[in-house]
Amino acid sequence: MGQTNSMTNFSRRIALYTDRNKRSNENILGFGDGNDLKRVITVNAPQQVKYISNRISTSKYSFLTFLPKFLFEQFRKYSNIFFLCIAILQQIPGVSPTGRYTTAVPLLMILCCAAIKEIIEDFKRHIQDGAVNNRRVLIYRYGNWLYSKWMNVRVGDIIKVADKEFFPADLIVLSSSEPHSICYIHTSNLDGETNLKVRQGLPQTSHIISSLQLKALQGTIECELPNRHLYDFAGTLKLANVAHPIPLGSDQILLRGSQLKNTGWVYGLVIYTGKETKLMMNSSSVPFKRTNVEQIANNQILLLLFLLLILCLFSTIAGEIWNYKNRVAHWYLGLTRMPDSSSAAVPNHVGYTFLTFFILFNNLIPISLQITVDLVKFIQAYFINWDKDMYDEESDIPANARTSNLNEELGQVKYIFSDKTGTLTKNVMVFKQCSIAGIMYGSGNIEKFNHFQLMQNLTNHESGGEIREFLTLLATCHTVVPEKKTDLLVDVTYQASSPDESALVAALKEMNVIFFRRTPDNVAISFMGEEEIYEILNVLEFSSDRKRMSVVVRCPDGQIKLFCKGADSVILQLLSSDDPNSGITSQHLESFAKDGLRTLCVASRVILSDEYNSWIEIYRQAATAINNRAELVAEAAEKIEKNLHLLGATGIEDKLQDQVPESISMLHKAGIKIWVLTGDKKETAVNIGYSCKLLSDQLLNLTLDEDSLEDTRRQLQDHCSSFGESLRKDNLASLVIEGKTLKFALAPPCRQDFLDLAISCKSVICCRVSPKQKAEVVELVKRSTDAITLAIGDGANDVGMIQTAHVGVGIMGREGVQAACASDYSIGQFRFLTKLLFVHGVWSYRRLCKVLLYSFYKNICLYVMELWFAVHNGFSGQILFERWTIATYNVLFTAAPPMALGLLDRCCSAETMMRFPALYKMSQNKSDFNIKIFWTWCLNAVYHSIILYFMSYAMLRHGNMAYTAGLESDAWTLLTHISIWGSIASWFLFLIIYSNFWPTIPLAPEMRGMAKYVFSSMYFWFGLILIPFTALMADVIYNCLQRTLYKTLMQEVQEKELANQDPYDLVMARQTSTVSRVAERLALLKSVFVRTRTPKMSGIVAGPYHGFAFSQEEDGVVPQNQLIRNYDTNIVKPPGL
Amino acid sequence: MSTPENTDDREQPKSKKPADTAFKQQRLPAWQPILTANTALPVFLIIGLTFIPIGIVLVVTSNRVLEYDIDYTDTKCININNNNNQTCADYLKDNPVPTTPCTCKINFTLTSDFDGDVYFYYGLINYYQNHRRYVKSRDDNQLLGKSGSAATDCEPFQKINGTDIAPCGAIANSLFNDTLTLVYSGQTVPLQNTSIAWSTDKNVKFQNPSDPDPYFRNHAKPPNWNKTAWQLDPTHEDNNGFENEDFIVWMRTAAMPTFRKLYRKLLTTSEPFTKGLPSGTYELTIVYQYPVINFAGRKQFIISTTSWMGGKNPFLGWAYIVVGIVCVIVFAVFFILHRFWKMYVLAY
Repeated sequence: MGQTNSMTNFSRRIALYTDRNKRSNENILGFGDGNDLKRVITVNAPQQVKYISNRISTSKYSFLTFLPKFLFEQFRKYSNIFFLCIAILQQIPGVSPTGRYTTAVPLLMILCCAAIKEIIEDFKRHIQDGAVNNRRVLIYRYGNWLYSKWMNVRVGDIIKVADKEFFPADLIVLSSSEPHSICYIHTSNLDGETNLKVRQGLPQTSHIISSLQLKALQGTIECELPNRHLYDFAGTLKLANVAHPIPLGSDQILLRGSQLKNTGWVYGLVIYTGKETKLMMNSSSVPFKRTNVEQIANNQILLLLFLLLILCLFSTIAGEIWNYKNRVAHWYLGLTRMPDSSSAAVPNHVGYTFLTFFILFNNLIPISLQITVDLVKFIQAYFINWDKDMYDEESDIPANARTSNLNEELGQVKYIFSDKTGTLTKNVMVFKQCSIAGIMYGSGNIEKFNHFQLMQNLTNHESGGEIREFLTLLATCHTVVPEKKTDLLVDVTYQASSPDESALVAALKEMNVIFFRRTPDNVAISFMGEEEIYEILNVLEFSSDRKRMSVVVRCPDGQIKLFCKGADSVILQLLSSDDPNSGITSQHLESFAKDGLRTLCVASRVILSDEYNSWIEIYRQAATAINNRAELVAEAAEKIEKNLHLLGATGIEDKLQDQVPESISMLHKAGIKIWVLTGDKKETAVNIGYSCKLLSDQLLNLTLDEDSLEDTRRQLQDHCSSFGESLRKDNLASLVIEGKTLKFALAPPCRQDFLDLAISCKSVICCRVSPKQKAEVVELVKRSTDAITLAIGDGANDVGMIQTAHVGVGIMGREGVQAACASDYSIGQFRFLTKLLFVHGVWSYRRLCKVLLYSFYKNICLYVMELWFAVHNGFSGQILFERWTIATYNVLFTAAPPMALGLLDRCCSAETMMRFPALYKMSQNKSDFNIKIFWTWCLNAVYHSIILYFMSYAMLRHGNMAYTAGLESDAWTLLTHISIWGSIASWFLFLIIYSNFWPTIPLAPEMRGMAKYVFSSMYFWFGLILIPFTALMADVIYNCLQRTLYKTLMQEVQEKELANQDPYDLVMARQTSTVSRVAERLALLKSVFVRTRTPKMSGIVAGPYHGFAFSQEEDGVVPQNQLIRNYDTNIVKPPGL
Repeated sequence: MSTPENTDDREQPKSKKPADTAFKQQRLPAWQPILTANTALPVFLIIGLTFIPIGIVLVVTSNRVLEYDIDYTDTKCININNNNNQTCADYLKDNPVPTTPCTCKINFTLTSDFDGDVYFYYGLINYYQNHRRYVKSRDDNQLLGKSGSAATDCEPFQKINGTDIAPCGAIANSLFNDTLTLVYSGQTVPLQNTSIAWSTDKNVKFQNPSDPDPYFRNHAKPPNWNKTAWQLDPTHEDNNGFENEDFIVWMRTAAMPTFRKLYRKLLTTSEPFTKGLPSGTYELTIVYQYPVINFAGRKQFIISTTSWMGGKNPFLGWAYIVVGIVCVIVFAVFFILHRFWKMYVLAY
């Protein structure tokens, strides 16, 4: 459609893509054709060249590549490299204070955990690939039809695809069940456009409607090499029985990812398979996404590393000074004694001392952090998968977290970029309301149009005649083609490239006004059982400029009439000046539009045969003109489309997905800004904007609709300056921008202004956006604000933005799985997004933050104690705790508490989180994890370590406890959980078991018998109670104070919840202040905008909104006029076997 | 549609609906402790009110434990073998390897009876038994009585002229070797030098080699020792070699530079020591061989009784009392704050 790329660019682009396809080039060179820019496919014969198979694979590892790839991935992480280095350093004899394997073993354990996790994740991908690869399709091979799997489809195969099926590969249409090899396809998966597109086979092959004829087909197809251009194709077909090569273009191509619609079947010849299909060429590999929290944590790790180095340096210097002063005096240490044999020289170098401390303190950086976080996220992802509230009963699709490492980002989303079709809407149009002769029928609240009143008025009311005319018009003025399966009129089905017309005709059928036959010249309808035939004299096509479609018909009574339907803005201008209905109909239109209905105005006119005869001359001339034909035809049409009589208007509902308006309003309340990026036209987009409450009359509605860079810039600057102070803040404003204007707005000179303007608005709607622009818009926002962005979509055209955004969510719909496959999370319905964000996102975020903080805390606390101990042992690098005890500290004793925190902790119940989206703002503002909080925790850890160490020290001074291992029992309880008690218990258990190792297992000689002595010492037990309590007292006091004096909203809600009270008032009370502030600002803004408004440059939607929208394929392969003329539904369609 | 339907062999797949369990739906019952002045107030009060009595009990218990210590490092310990009034410390400094060891006698008076089990400790101050090089310098396999050469960890006390040292290492080499004996009104106080080490150490960790006598003769003694390990305790045959309890006690290194180690226990078999140490004047005879003066170390002799808690430890009790009091204060402050803050908020 709009994306017609001129063929002149084509060869240049081919040249660009040649190196990409070097392998295929060589193949073709081997074929000896001499032309390395072509792919030659023989029809109905084995191929000379082996092409890649149609199997697709999105998995990361295979059986063989697992180990090297996995290790590579793991050792790309800094922390793993760091610990690997430590493990290697420990192998230097005499340097390590903790033995040789105390880092290697935990590291190995951690790698094993990671490996198991990777295997499970990849296994899922293998299964999903398998599902796609094993779909079935009919292949014609060696004269037989085979029912085979998608992955077995090969280049050169002829396949048959039936209605509603997806194409397994890129095909050339040979023929279809429809006349002239026409077929309809649905490409929203590829480009997001809702209307059906027409493809047509070549006339030379359209006769092939049976396998016999297929068998006779001989020849070759030459086509360009696989490339990623969806709208370009060039090739030639050389048939054995046709002298000249026949050109093939993009009108003959059916792409993988699109779906056959309203067509019985097509025969297609496979040209590109698997990774070489245009769809797959367009899907880049999933980029690695790193989360914000991880980023901060990583930076802090680097800082910690720096701190570690300082600590080591300090300790080394202190150690050297101590040594220098004391090595002679402290004779018993034997520091000055030379070893007996020079072979076993004791390393005594400063560098070695440094390394000793480096190894001693290395666990300041928690070794288990990465794996704990990974595991926690992994299981969190399972919680998402397990959530039955996010399970779509209808399509049997549960939510699916495809990557687990973005969970916490879900809790911080500030911008949502949404696709329209399939995401917000169901892509189902339903006739909902109409207004005929000033009377409104139907209601916005009822699911289906109730035609009882209409039928009554048809017979009894004074407007009966107009009603009849209205219905007749709708039944005749369209491009729909009926299909009769049986002779019964009830069984008629319709196919149309315009979903609006389809909805209208289907609704008429319900009212017993059945359109049932189309022949090249006639339309036959059954009006309440009476057959009427209307002769179609002329079709004046629909176009975006004209915004209307008309037919000139000869009625059964011989009268010539013009039936016209189109946008109110156009039709109301064409009415005769004294039209009685226009006022009231306008009001009705307004009310339809408010409900988000797509409206069309319907008007007719009787044409006298003289007038018709004179007009037809003009029209014929225009229609056969060589230059400017379209313009001339439009001019001619205008000559007859005048003095119309307004019959009424229709309201068609573009069915929204379930609970979309509610979800959107929740998301708005949570402070999330929603952008709709759609490939559809502005009218359709605005319509949906109204129906899902993105736009409303309470908002300041801005529109950007300019045709040049200069105008766009000026308008942007105007708007920006009008916003004044409230630019880049929350405003009750919305912005609608056209695709062509967006192109200018995204250009460097305008970009900043556009961004400023757009982020000042609550909702933004971008129309006619190409997939690439979608990604660009997301990229712009992602780059220029530090907010987290989320993209949600369902089609292949959304893949770009899904991959660009921080978090990509795919709707796993009926429309294929391309978007879902590229996404990080896939869900069955848009409405599940709220739970995904408000509950899983917030919980995951808060949990993860706690896990991170706790992990750092516990290690800092433990290892700073080593520093205090160093003061007491002459900075010799002696360990305070037994070596394996600390080695397992992270992976055993303190593994459970962070895990439990990460999985079980929750701040508020799911119900509360869902009821009060405002709670989301807390995590959105990154209030749980930032540099300040991180270092507060670190300082707290140091404080705790001081208390723990020096209290134990004071106790020991007086007592006679043999060894300080008992210290360790203060299992750093911070948050009371079973697992914490478990981890303390595990320490006890460990001590009991471990202290009995020696000498049966050659480990830990000094621990032998420790348990007995430690546990029999009363000091130990009393100390155990006292010391942790003392350490925690400060935290408890701080918490209390903070809770008492300054509560956060979250905490207040928590309390209310615990007290079984309704936190409603609370949330409301907190909100009102901000709401009123924003409202004030809006009032101010509106006044500013109104004042500065100039007639031309306004860009503000002026006047009431009437909701016109209509989709129809324009400039397609087959013009609407011809399309109608092509059909003769009296002829039986071929079965295609 | 003309697709042959009969070849469609796909079964109706099992529903993918997630199971509705409390765990999977994250509805596990949870206890949410919320620390507000309201909830924390009673907690602080209760903790304060329990900690203070516990502290008092601990302090009283600790005070009941009788302890007497003598620092005999320098001035108190005058060599009795020559008459120039030289301290043993100075004597040892002048004669690093004395022919006759320095001996001194110190008189002291116990003002009250030391009833029950009485323990005798030697204490060392500013002695870094926790130095990494020192702690490491031992061979636990050798101490288990296993054959094989001494571990390199023992360096620089692994070998002397190519002969393995037994027991090797810096710890063993620096074994505390002062002899302390006690006389009460002309009667030697009977002291027990066995069952002073941890039973597990004695029974499991320290084992003599199967043929101890030749073993220790064939190995070098640590350079600081004046006798072999097999001659440590001439009175008890089985308290020698690696299994010597003084040695075992020494080998369990102390964590802090100030520490005490169990030296002897009172034997309560003969009068007048059946009930413990009676009050009165005692004469402590010290064979002073262990040099600590060079590194400003101190040596102590400590007599202590025991309670159900163990030895004397006033710190723990006082710590309990202090923390308890802090809790009560916090309670009071919060109470007031809570009241007044509410009033303040209401007024505001």
